[in-house]
Amino acid sequence: MSLGRFALKRSLQGVGVVWGVVTVVFALRFVTPGSPINAVAPLDASQETRQAIAAELGLDQPLYVQYGQYIFDLLRGDMGFSYIRGQDVTTLVFGRLPATVELAVAASVVAIVLAIPLGVISATRRNEPIDYGATLLSLGGISTPNFWLGIMLILIFAVEFNIFNTSGRGVTVVDVAFSVVNADPFVGTLLTWLAYITLPAIALGTYFMALITRLTRSGMLDELSKGYVQAARAKGLPRTLIRYKHALRNTLIPVITVLGLQLGTLIGGAVITEAVFSWPGLGSLVIDSINNRDWPTLQGSLIVIGTSFVFVNILVDVVYAYLDPEVVTD
Amino acid sequence: MVSSRVIRNLKKEFRQSGLAKLGLALVVIIALTAVFAPFIAPHNPTDQQLNQSELPPIGFSETAERTSSQMVDGEIQTVTEEVEINADPDHVFGTDGLGRDMFSRVVYGARTSLVVGVLGTLLAASIGVPVGLLAGYHRGRVDDALMRIADISLAFPSLVLAVALIGLWGRAAVNVPDPFVVAGLAPEMPESFVLPITVVIVVGLVNWVWFARVARGEALSLRGQEYVKASRALGADDNTIILRHVLPNAITPIIVLGTVQVAAIILLESSLSFLGFSGTTLSWGFDIAQGRDYVSSGQWWIASIPGLAIMLSVIGINLLGDWLRDALDPGIEGEGGAA
Repeated sequence: MSLGRFALKRSLQGVGVVWGVVTVVFALRFVTPGSPINAVAPLDASQETRQAIAAELGLDQPLYVQYGQYIFDLLRGDMGFSYIRGQDVTTLVFGRLPATVELAVAASVVAIVLAIPLGVISATRRNEPIDYGATLLSLGGISTPNFWLGIMLILIFAVEFNIFNTSGRGVTVVDVAFSVVNADPFVGTLLTWLAYITLPAIALGTYFMALITRLTRSGMLDELSKGYVQAARAKGLPRTLIRYKHALRNTLIPVITVLGLQLGTLIGGAVITEAVFSWPGLGSLVIDSINNRDWPTLQGSLIVIGTSFVFVNILVDVVYAYLDPEVVTD
Repeated sequence: MVSSRVIRNLKKEFRQSGLAKLGLALVVIIALTAVFAPFIAPHNPTDQQLNQSELPPIGFSETAERTSSQMVDGEIQTVTEEVEINADPDHVFGTDGLGRDMFSRVVYGARTSLVVGVLGTLLAASIGVPVGLLAGYHRGRVDDALMRIADISLAFPSLVLAVALIGLWGRAAVNVPDPFVVAGLAPEMPESFVLPITVVIVVGLVNWVWFARVARGEALSLRGQEYVKASRALGADDNTIILRHVLPNAITPIIVLGTVQVAAIILLESSLSFLGFSGTTLSWGFDIAQGRDYVSSGQWWIASIPGLAIMLSVIGINLLGDWLRDALDPGIEGEGGAA
């Protein structure tokens, strides 16, 4: 099977899973206590509003018609209307998505940039103090609740030293990129961006940093004991080349897969990190919509989160297949 | 099921690993704390002493500025004065904003964390293991269906799914009478333990997939083994084979996963409590949420201490999981030297 066909096959499977995701979210309407109207209408809705909603949802129609209509609306990009916020759910959700993606990417960058060198050093200096230090650090990292870490970071860096902002987003990464074009002071915009994003990115990224450090360390130990490494050393290749070009490359393949699977944890972590730092992303939208019983917004957010997860995983699989062509032949 | 070789490995690994000893010690301490909470906690964790609120932990007495309105020369004036806030030896970890003893709250919080962690894991395993074994053993349509359900389920982050389900179903809790208090041994303490039942059910429903995946993988590799084929040839029916031959040989990775899951569920429970989705107010996550409001005014201990408790418990359980994994699966023991 070629890489292209593999990508196509995985994408088709992905469409199937997304269909399942949508079906589960559609079904949520019916597991809500009381009438499905309650799942959409605000608590204090008038009788007229409730009837309007019933008609709009097609609750007088047979179930399969309702389901068909729901899918049809989604395909047109219509995720319903939030009566509580008085806004289109699609606009609302996609308005929040960039902030979450920015936070998740920043956290991943923090995690990867620190973890891979740490894991490699830990493996190559096995049982030396630096290895013990890295092992303890990563053990602490996978065991620390990220919301608590966020609060501790606020306590130290915002309350005691007053270096960072603790709430909100300030400017976006796009503002930073365009500050040059718009003749804004670039450094100032960049610093503002950093002041807001640094603490949430560390709070969210620490778990992944710890996880990647552990995976890189054990993967490197495994690779370094293999025959090809000994052969390369016997040939007289420099150690750095063997470590970083040969062994690390092979170590990273399984690391990438695990990260793909852990993407859900990253998004779940973003939900709570956003709550701690009042970060205006999809996560705080999910929490707000539950607290306000704003089910259409919750449903829309769930569909977007589920769909992104499925497609990022397909991307991970394709990258994996590219790095390790044996996967495709299975 | 548990051969002498397994026990030998466990002992050998335990002797060699300092981290395994630390893990076991932490877990034993936390488990004992949870069980004997009424005897360890010096105060009732829900008792509010408003005149003793916000006391710092021992060793952290501090001076603070307090502003008050006073009558000076017939006028009301705002007076700022330095006051000593002394730690009270009666409250080792200090008190929270309502004057509740933090140490007692941390002790009782261990109950919530451990009970939810263990019950949630058992529920997840009791759904996931049978489903996974059946799917992996029979393959075919059941297996395809399971894998699709697993894919869909994994597309929702556990926390998001849990929050959504609790949001829809409400947060129910059950009062379980405390046997020590009922027996009159610890009369000052809360009479019952509040079990956040929705949280247990939801974490079980959210995390069963991990057990199903592991059990399926084991069943897939075991179904082709000679002894399974042999008992099939002898006429044993499938359920007997699964129960007698497949499950006992699949149990090791399930136990290792179960250990890690207890830690994961403790973290999930604390997140849910922090967000106010739990149903009990005696939980480490809930106390962190309370303490968050005091961070900017200097009462750092209210949020910090319960978080340390979570961290130590999860570290302990993870170390225990590492120990079990290393001892039960000698294949992953790294023997390679550094290049």
